Amino acid sequence: MKAVGARLPRYDGIEHVTGRTTYVDDVRVPGTLWVKALRSPMHSATFSGLDTTKAEAMPGVHAVLTWEDVPLLEYGHLSALGIPADEPLLAKDEVRYKGQPIALVAAEDEDTAAAAVDTIGIEFDEREPLLDVRRAFDADAPTIHPWGNWYPHFENEMDRRQIRKGSIEEAFEKADAIVQGVYRPAAIEHVPLETQVCLAVPEANGRLTIYSCTQALYFSLGVVAAHLQVPLNKLKIVGGTVGGGFGGKVDTATETMCSLLAQKSGRPVKWRWTREEEFLCSSTRAPWHMEIADAVSKDGWILGRKMLTLHDSGAYARFSPYGLTKHSFHHTGAYTIPNLHFDGYVVFTNRVPTTAMRGFGVTSISFATETHVSRIANVLGLDPYEIRLKNANRVGDTSPNRIVYTDPSTVPVVKALAGGMGVELAAEYSAMDRGKREGDLLPAHLVEQLADPEDH
Amino acid sequence: MAVHTGRGIAAIEYPTGMNQNGDPSQAWIKLKPDGRVDVFAGTSDIGNGSKTIQSQIVAETIGVPYDWVTYDNSNTDSSPVCTGTFASRATFVAGKAVEKAAERVRERILEIAGKELEIDPDDLEIVDGEVLAKGAPQKKIAVPDVAAAATWTYGELITGAGAQLKPYASIVDPETGQVDLPPHSAISYAACAAEVEVDDATGVVRVTRLVQVYDVGKAINPTLVEGQIEGGAVQGLGLGVLENCYPYYPSVENRGGEFGSYLAPGFDDLPKLDTIIIENPSADGPYGAKGIGEMANNAQPPAIAAAVFDAVGVWVTELPITPERVLRALDANAEPVRDGKRVVFDSELSVNTVSKGGITFDVPV
Repeated sequence: MKAVGARLPRYDGIEHVTGRTTYVDDVRVPGTLWVKALRSPMHSATFSGLDTTKAEAMPGVHAVLTWEDVPLLEYGHLSALGIPADEPLLAKDEVRYKGQPIALVAAEDEDTAAAAVDTIGIEFDEREPLLDVRRAFDADAPTIHPWGNWYPHFENEMDRRQIRKGSIEEAFEKADAIVQGVYRPAAIEHVPLETQVCLAVPEANGRLTIYSCTQALYFSLGVVAAHLQVPLNKLKIVGGTVGGGFGGKVDTATETMCSLLAQKSGRPVKWRWTREEEFLCSSTRAPWHMEIADAVSKDGWILGRKMLTLHDSGAYARFSPYGLTKHSFHHTGAYTIPNLHFDGYVVFTNRVPTTAMRGFGVTSISFATETHVSRIANVLGLDPYEIRLKNANRVGDTSPNRIVYTDPSTVPVVKALAGGMGVELAAEYSAMDRGKREGDLLPAHLVEQLADPEDH
Repeated sequence: MAVHTGRGIAAIEYPTGMNQNGDPSQAWIKLKPDGRVDVFAGTSDIGNGSKTIQSQIVAETIGVPYDWVTYDNSNTDSSPVCTGTFASRATFVAGKAVEKAAERVRERILEIAGKELEIDPDDLEIVDGEVLAKGAPQKKIAVPDVAAAATWTYGELITGAGAQLKPYASIVDPETGQVDLPPHSAISYAACAAEVEVDDATGVVRVTRLVQVYDVGKAINPTLVEGQIEGGAVQGLGLGVLENCYPYYPSVENRGGEFGSYLAPGFDDLPKLDTIIIENPSADGPYGAKGIGEMANNAQPPAIAAAVFDAVGVWVTELPITPERVLRALDANAEPVRDGKRVVFDSELSVNTVSKGGITFDVPV
């Protein structure tokens, strides 16, 4: 029997549906301490007088952690890719979002830990938060990040991500219409059934065993090792089975702090976020602000696209520069548009940092560009299937960053959708395949963008 | 006051593998003395079914039954590097690593079987757990016997390692965004049609049907592909009409901190789902597969937005398309501003309206 192509049952399906899968919170080790966090009650503030002496003195408390205990306080999620670090593991001197962790307590039980957190002394000096990405550039906007209110790309060489291709001015000039719209998809929660959770166990041989719900074992291994400043063989991450992630568990949210508390206390330490913490303090999908102006001909060619994207990163960079770059590479969607002028900014605001989520960077662009194409079809009085087939990317076309499309499938999927919906296409569209341009499909405005034939 | 029906469509694409690549996955495989197969890889299974898919690839590539394969992704001591389960890479990138490791194992089995059968390994193949001479299948040896011979006769371990890594694509020109190499491993494509009912008295949008087409390259396991597509559709529905961390964005007030105040889709919200899978094989995915896990929630929101317009004649371009937003749009019944050849929608949302000049979006008249 062939295995590839077979409708085999899930490898781990029975254990999941009968409740026999061991998730991180199912792992119980004798002597485990439980963690609660002091989190920022404010969106933006400086603080002073952080005093944990009462908490440390409380019966049942075995370790308290603040920024002073972290060997390498700032390590960016994408430091390995050259994206600099900006986020302290625990807040130092200031908080930039409500829910930001400031101090942690490990105690015999969660109630004791929570009571100890309540005794921690701290004084906040609240600042005006920045929340609207459209206001971040204004002279009267508060500056909320030491890098400025938006991310410095290319080692501060440029303050934005750009795509430039062809001539947008010429496209606007030649257009019969310029259609403009604004698109704003919301922040949403990942809503995993398993909230963020970790158990760190100090072993007799000096290693740490870290039970993790991470989506990326080695990613988390690298992040924890960097913060702790230890080689990889000192840590063993145990995981591989995740109770829902959707991108939110690419963040290494709990592993490092549990490890430090385990080192400090010499005891196993578990931190499991409450549902409320998961909703209010864990990272979200980013909200995006996108403006599009498309130069179109009256028969439905998209001649050019000017676009502005403001990516609401929240308080820190995390994966946002990566997400914006991916977004920029795909801002023509499933189509070939020869003249492009794209500017995108990662904008900092005083909300929970945003992170990866299913479709990262592209979910936003798909909503904006596809809604926009539907609008263009409506403005021009064209069929929504046919405008998509007409502008579809084809073998031998080039992407926004000048990579040749060798395997585009816009034409096959749109034709199959028309078939599935019982929509009859005009003859020129029902006969269309995804092959190289010729004849009516190679109008003058699409000649220059073609790839060198030797590249495909 | 009435309920109006509407249809809208969307077509999308999505890259597999980390944007700009540079994201390795590795795997190693060993055979037990009875020929059963142990796979060690570092790919977390986040519900996407990667344990199943990668085990199928291993079984197929070696030529043994699926239930001979044990898959271990449980820890970083025994499992080699996998960058992680994100970027739609678990099948396309990590699956390629296990395929390569399984090819090495198949070659090692054939080498030892060749000694036992006294036949050139090039003239042997593995079918359903047996090594057969090509064209003379009566000459054969079972894979368990090969593994036993390796262990007890030849003193060897049948093992294989594999890794997949596409080089990091650098942006060589920050001005234009030009890259020096393909910045992704493959691109996947999908199209979606949404049918909706919109109540113009309450503003409620009900998605009644989603028809979805995905080019998956090759469906390694059609059941799991359908699961990704249907699960993604439900998340796309949440994005489109229900979910929002900040109900009054950009304000941070009134955040929902519990299931009772955060509207994730429930079974009552489910539309009829029709899935059409087509297979244009990718050049370099395992067995021609592409990754479609993430894109599965991208096509529904724009299809729903277009269907709402088809139903009631208003565009709602802030997600989610809540009853309040539908009613406000119906009240406003705004026409785009026409200015020369410009047709301008949503000007009230633009930076040109909201910013105090710090940033503008300039389009010639």
